Amino acid sequence: MSDNLLSLSLRHRVGGLSMEVAFDLTHPWTVLFGPSGSGKTTVLRAIAGFLRPDEARITCGPDDTVLIDTQKRILIPAHRRPVRSAAQSARLFPHQSVRQNLTYGMTSNTKADQPLELVEEIISLFQLEGLADREPGALSGGERQRVSVARAVAAATAYPRVSKPLLLLDEPFTGLDARLRDELLDGLREWLAGWKVPVLSVTHALGEAFQLGAEVIKIAEGRVVQQGPVTMVLAEERRRLMEQLRLE
Amino acid sequence: MDLEALWLTLRLAAATTLILLLIALPLAWWIASGRGVARALAQAVVALPLVLPPTVLGFYLLIAMGPLTAPGRLLIRMFGHPLAFSFEGLLIGSVLYSLPFAVQPLVAGFESVDSGYIEAAAGLGASPARVFFSVILPLTRSSLLTSAVLAFTHTVGEFGVVLMLGGNIPGATRTLSISLYDLVEDSNYAAANRTALALVGFAMAALIVIYLLPGVRRSRGRQADLVR
Repeated sequence: MSDNLLSLSLRHRVGGLSMEVAFDLTHPWTVLFGPSGSGKTTVLRAIAGFLRPDEARITCGPDDTVLIDTQKRILIPAHRRPVRSAAQSARLFPHQSVRQNLTYGMTSNTKADQPLELVEEIISLFQLEGLADREPGALSGGERQRVSVARAVAAATAYPRVSKPLLLLDEPFTGLDARLRDELLDGLREWLAGWKVPVLSVTHALGEAFQLGAEVIKIAEGRVVQQGPVTMVLAEERRRLMEQLRLE
Repeated sequence: MDLEALWLTLRLAAATTLILLLIALPLAWWIASGRGVARALAQAVVALPLVLPPTVLGFYLLIAMGPLTAPGRLLIRMFGHPLAFSFEGLLIGSVLYSLPFAVQPLVAGFESVDSGYIEAAAGLGASPARVFFSVILPLTRSSLLTSAVLAFTHTVGEFGVVLMLGGNIPGATRTLSISLYDLVEDSNYAAANRTALALVGFAMAALIVIYLLPGVRRSRGRQADLVR
């Protein structure tokens, strides 16, 4: 167990869903697991500062820095939060090359020389060699998705403080073929652990959650159902999947 | 053709365009980034010159700049002379008269930017100012160019406001369109034809430039990419 990385309690109505979510993040990689429409992305957007929940208190870091406290009317804007994020849908800046996209978040808070080696390492980590000088319009959907996640990873890794920001990844590798996804997940987990970048990712892929061996927060219909190690929280889903495979 | 009027017209159009862009960029961004009564009111005021006869705007500006009103007296004290019938007065009138031509393309451009790009940049730690200059402006550069070209050409072609506010002083307020009016009054149709042709050619060239802009030509394809 490590220090408390983030504490969240949130009430919010979105569409027909009434959300009431509370959890603490204490592990290097936590997975928000749940079906579509259960409120996973809304939780990520509230942490990132892209939406103002009806009621919320979110603090982060060892000194409990407040990101939002609706009762005390505190709202830290998104760009000032120690959080870096990649959305489910890749939004690469179309007027910049892949390399320029990758370095975009590395220059926001520091005037220091660009850590070029770091960029090259991230390009290699995400298997983007040969794509670095292309325009986003010339990439396939899967390649764009990889660049989008790599861009957020670069921003989090190059964060100009010892304590790294929380990295939010919404369905980071959805749509990639299984072999590539497995390779990237293993490499990424190792890389982020080395840089001590904590992660909260969203998925509804059972295999992904097990491969990461992460802490899992299971969420359904806007409520946290269970939190704990993946082997415990998703045991039932795993058993059902194995049964289906046996029947086939 | 009256070369002095041509030079004055170009100076007026260039200065008007520069001032308009400085005003229109923040104003259009503010209008495009939300809803509410204040924004609706601002949009209505900006669009007013499109539906009002230019003489109405010219008349009110003439009164506002004269010694009968407090702002007029203040302006006279500041500049040392009444602004009506001067280049500065003409400039103020042109800025107000061409305001919708500068603001509206920018509002449309800003509204077409997918908020996903803004969130992506903010999620990488970019401040709102950096997001505006490094993401929003490059994505809307064709709107910015359209806005500048329309503001310039509309100023070149204005007549009613200039006549009401500036009169017809050679070298100070006589623009090409006023010069054309004078030539017709004097029955000098050959010279009037040359001036009119110059104005038509200029407007046509500006419009061709707008429609040749790569951003405008590709805008249909890009909008599909931009709009969620």
